[in-house]
Amino acid sequence: MVNLKKWLGGPLLAYALVTQSVMADQKAPVHFADLTWESGSLITEVLRLITEKGYDVPTDTLPGSTVSLEAALAKNDIQVIGEEWAGRSPVWIKAEAEGKVQGLGDIVKNASEGWWVPEYVIKGDPEKGIKALAPDLKSVNDLARYKDVFRDQEDPSRGRFLNSPTGWTSETVNSQKLKAYGLDKDFVNFRTGSGAALDAEVSSSIKRGKPVLFYYWSPTPLIGRYKLIRLEEPAFDAEAWKTLTDVNNPNPKGTRSLPAKLAVGVSAPFSKQYPQLVEFYQKVDFPIDLLNTTLAQMSETRTEPRKAAQAFLREQPQIWHAWVTPEAAAKVDAALKAN
Amino acid sequence: MFPDNLTFSIAGWVNEGVDALVSNYGDVFRHISDSLLWAIVNLENLLRLTPWWLMLAIVGVIAWHATRKVVSTLLIVGLLFLVGAVGLWDKLMQTLALMMVATVISVLLGIPLGILAARSNRLRSVLMPLLDIMQTMPSFVYLIPVLMLFGLGKVPAIFATVIYAVPPLIRLTDLGLRQVDREVMEAINAFGATPMQQLFGVQLPLAMPSIMAGVNQTTMMALSMVVIASMIGARGLGEDVLVGIQTLNVGKGLEAGLAIVILAVVIDRITQAYGRPRHREQK
Repeated sequence: MVNLKKWLGGPLLAYALVTQSVMADQKAPVHFADLTWESGSLITEVLRLITEKGYDVPTDTLPGSTVSLEAALAKNDIQVIGEEWAGRSPVWIKAEAEGKVQGLGDIVKNASEGWWVPEYVIKGDPEKGIKALAPDLKSVNDLARYKDVFRDQEDPSRGRFLNSPTGWTSETVNSQKLKAYGLDKDFVNFRTGSGAALDAEVSSSIKRGKPVLFYYWSPTPLIGRYKLIRLEEPAFDAEAWKTLTDVNNPNPKGTRSLPAKLAVGVSAPFSKQYPQLVEFYQKVDFPIDLLNTTLAQMSETRTEPRKAAQAFLREQPQIWHAWVTPEAAAKVDAALKAN
Repeated sequence: MFPDNLTFSIAGWVNEGVDALVSNYGDVFRHISDSLLWAIVNLENLLRLTPWWLMLAIVGVIAWHATRKVVSTLLIVGLLFLVGAVGLWDKLMQTLALMMVATVISVLLGIPLGILAARSNRLRSVLMPLLDIMQTMPSFVYLIPVLMLFGLGKVPAIFATVIYAVPPLIRLTDLGLRQVDREVMEAINAFGATPMQQLFGVQLPLAMPSIMAGVNQTTMMALSMVVIASMIGARGLGEDVLVGIQTLNVGKGLEAGLAIVILAVVIDRITQAYGRPRHREQK
């Protein structure tokens, strides 16, 4: 027995010592939330690449659902959420009020949600032989006239409005909007069941050149990939917005949706430890049109987010150079060339 | 690590294939879809327009005819009444319509395929791996392409349900026919029965318990697809379950879940009773 202990103990101890000293040499990596939607994954990879190469801070990602990631951020289990729709979820609002998390910057200005139709529905597309079926469709108030264009096969006397899946906050808002705009009799409030189903139906309709009316949001690949037109809605009004978010309000008033504020979410210990990164994240600003087209390319060519992020950094230096210190910019450029 | 030069991917090829299919033949598929939809919508409207008490009476008569037991009949009608009492009657009818169409299609496909498989070993050896794929492939993998071809809502939901629910019926029909006693077959052969007479006069009646067990399994599996169906926009009880999960409204989810269970129990007891050998002689 004693012999066995000697035999095993020596190498094991040596192994433990070696690994420990190696671990001590490295800084603990910063954990990013592994966001699964397209814009989230691209923004996360862009931030990670600059953080790693420009500021020499190692990074890693952890997967999870939005709510559990927000809860993890509040406990500092992860340190950064690349794209946080700040102020929308109760978990986030509570953690922010307690000073555990912070939303940095306004990273995508004019991020929005609304009701969209493909451009060819209004203008037609002579190249594909598509006639303009709803030439005067501009705002949600015109929809009642065009209910036949968006006919619902399951209920042919009415039009079909593709709402977001049940359970999303936006589903309530859209259902209330249908009432507010007086469209609930003429249109079927079609809840799509899942985000994937909504995407599939919209892209299938567009590929076949058929009219489709749907709820969507930006920044997304879909908005960048196809020519879409957002229907006009009344200007934003905070009081009316309250009636739209309340499921039980019988007389909702119409307004466009609350403008979204996208931020980089960081935990409190992180902002103490890395002031230079906080400064960088505060300056992050993706122009929305460029982001949409980049996302469209990424989804069309089915590129990995990390590769798409490298390409973005290589092709659009004028955008991200403004976010970082000149030294960091130079380091990232050098790293990109080396690849 | 697996060596890089030995790896390949069919992803790009499949993606292009689906894209081309949707762009070029999408409209053809939509036409097929619309005719199927017409049948479903009409059945659904019929079920939803039937007054609830008439519906309960009809179910009661069927249950009595199948089970010949007062207690079972009352229990079945009572359970359905309970579903109506928690305010889910309309959704129950929507789910029932969807499930009935899926089951009818499954029976029309499953029993003939089962008969063919019982007759030909070669067909059986091709069919069995296919059935394995149908039962184990995660449904979202084929749902999204089916959805792009046939549109959102009830039709792709029925396709998904049939794909998942038909295998047990094929397997059990095949099994039931193969288990018919060889000596019985020799005897009727000796009497000079034609193949049709063999099949309809002897084999199918003897295999009936097994086939009815298959029909029973098919309806049960069709019901278990209800939630998946609601994820692609089919209305019904599944939608409530989904909302319950997504908004942490556990109570609502449970109500709808229990309604699905009740529907399953009702259909299960009725089809099982029909599958049992009849006791008509007991007077």
